[in-house]
Amino acid sequence: VKLAFVVQRYGADIAGGSELHCRDLAQRLSPRYDITVLTSCARDYVSWANAYPAGESSDGGVRVIRFAVSRPRHVPEFSSLSEEVFEGGAPHERQEEWFRQNGPQVPGLLDHLRQHGRSYDAVLFWTFRYYPSFFGVPLVRDRAVLLPTAEDDPAVHLDITEDFFNTPAAFLFLTPEEQKLVSARAGRTLTPSAVIGTGLEPAGPSPPRDLLRSNDIPEDYLLYLGRVDRNKGCHTLLEYFQEYASTSSVIPLVLAGPAKLQIPKHDRIRALGYVSDELRAALLAHARLLVVPSPYESLGIALLEAWNHGVPALVNARCDVLREQVRRANGGLHYRSFNEFSGALDYFASHPEESRVLGAQGLRFVEREYRWQTVLPKIEGLLRSLPTAPALGAAPHPI
Amino acid sequence: LATDVSVDAVMAELHDRVHRQLRERLLLHGASSALADPAVFAEVEQLLQSAVALGDAQALLLPELLGDRDSWRLRTSMRFDSHRNAQAAAVILFVKRRLLMPLVRWLFEYSRNNFERQQRVNHILFACVQELATENARLRREVQALSQNTR
Repeated sequence: VKLAFVVQRYGADIAGGSELHCRDLAQRLSPRYDITVLTSCARDYVSWANAYPAGESSDGGVRVIRFAVSRPRHVPEFSSLSEEVFEGGAPHERQEEWFRQNGPQVPGLLDHLRQHGRSYDAVLFWTFRYYPSFFGVPLVRDRAVLLPTAEDDPAVHLDITEDFFNTPAAFLFLTPEEQKLVSARAGRTLTPSAVIGTGLEPAGPSPPRDLLRSNDIPEDYLLYLGRVDRNKGCHTLLEYFQEYASTSSVIPLVLAGPAKLQIPKHDRIRALGYVSDELRAALLAHARLLVVPSPYESLGIALLEAWNHGVPALVNARCDVLREQVRRANGGLHYRSFNEFSGALDYFASHPEESRVLGAQGLRFVEREYRWQTVLPKIEGLLRSLPTAPALGAAPHPI
Repeated sequence: LATDVSVDAVMAELHDRVHRQLRERLLLHGASSALADPAVFAEVEQLLQSAVALGDAQALLLPELLGDRDSWRLRTSMRFDSHRNAQAAAVILFVKRRLLMPLVRWLFEYSRNNFERQQRVNHILFACVQELATENARLRREVQALSQNTR
């Protein structure tokens, strides 16, 4: 069985969520299927400048074909176009131009799909918003499986997405909320489809605290994990936290991730910048609580990772995905306003046993829904339903 | 471990407490005394909340009734154009885009951010009016039906 995986960037050094998801699945499924990853030569998701050599290479048994980016993204021009189309009322040609300029523009990848697309039993596309998916899906629509990784942001509400979401043969979603959002945009129930999320390995024994001590990290802390960015809701988190800290004795907030905004100087806020995988794991394992302030998420990997360590979470309720994940897992609390944020922190501080239970319930949820032995059969089940992939056997996947 | 903890139950308690504090604060600052009734407050909040949650601009009726978009809609993006002939326009647009724009970008971005916020508030106000009008129409029909039944 031949599968093609189409993704905007690919590589061991690429940190994006959908790129990691694609690579994880490629590596997990490659012992059983003939997988070819079709991707760009870009490493940077802002400029899409060519960084890897074009052509064929191998990544742990997975065949990778890279195509050169014909035109890097011109950021000011793209920003202006984004404002124009998100205002609403832009004609379809301008909306299509938005998908072109969002890049990475890889006409060679589209040529490959035109010439060889039918040689694959199924072609899986990651992320609806980028050029390879938007222009590639229609070329192989009878065997296209889209993983939209859609968030409830302005791009998903562009008029043009209604037709686009009616194009693929099948869908794989990260959460039921994403499935609902994309189905609403398509104007119908999308079948065949499956909600797969992602797979996580068990966290294993807790890393020792020594690494935290050597980095001068306090014993007890709230954790934010990821890029410290306005788009991730961090400005509101910092504002709420400072306001809360001005009236309550709160444990410190540790921010682990590169800063894209100015972090205020505050004796209860500790910004670590980029952290190693080892330190990241130790931070997760020993946190009192993970805070996820992002208003837009299609899955929330950091949230699943925290639960994988039995750590409860406090999430932004304005993001449907995060709020419903927390409710499904019974793994934390959610907030919409400062008053709810402070009320939730008060609860965690005054109910340590219940907080531990919430973390344990999160772990049970991960074990039930997000282990590879649960995720992979869902994908194979969906692929089996495609008329172009009859050779997929019914045998269970050896984990 | 202790017995299971229900997120919904904890959140319900937390919401009750936050709503009570919020209601007290609003009343203290002169809000309508009708809000002293927790049930009324909850209904008002629910109605406004559903307006705020109406995320899709295409779900709104008022913009359709306002007519020509250019006559009322905030335009947050900068358009570069010129009424001169093609050659002169190309020079003027080049100067505007490549020389003037970089100099005033900070001011443009400051204004744009505020315009975007205003646009969001307008959108929410449109949604509030729509929710209230819908509720009003529904109640009017119910009152009419009741008065017909009692005749």
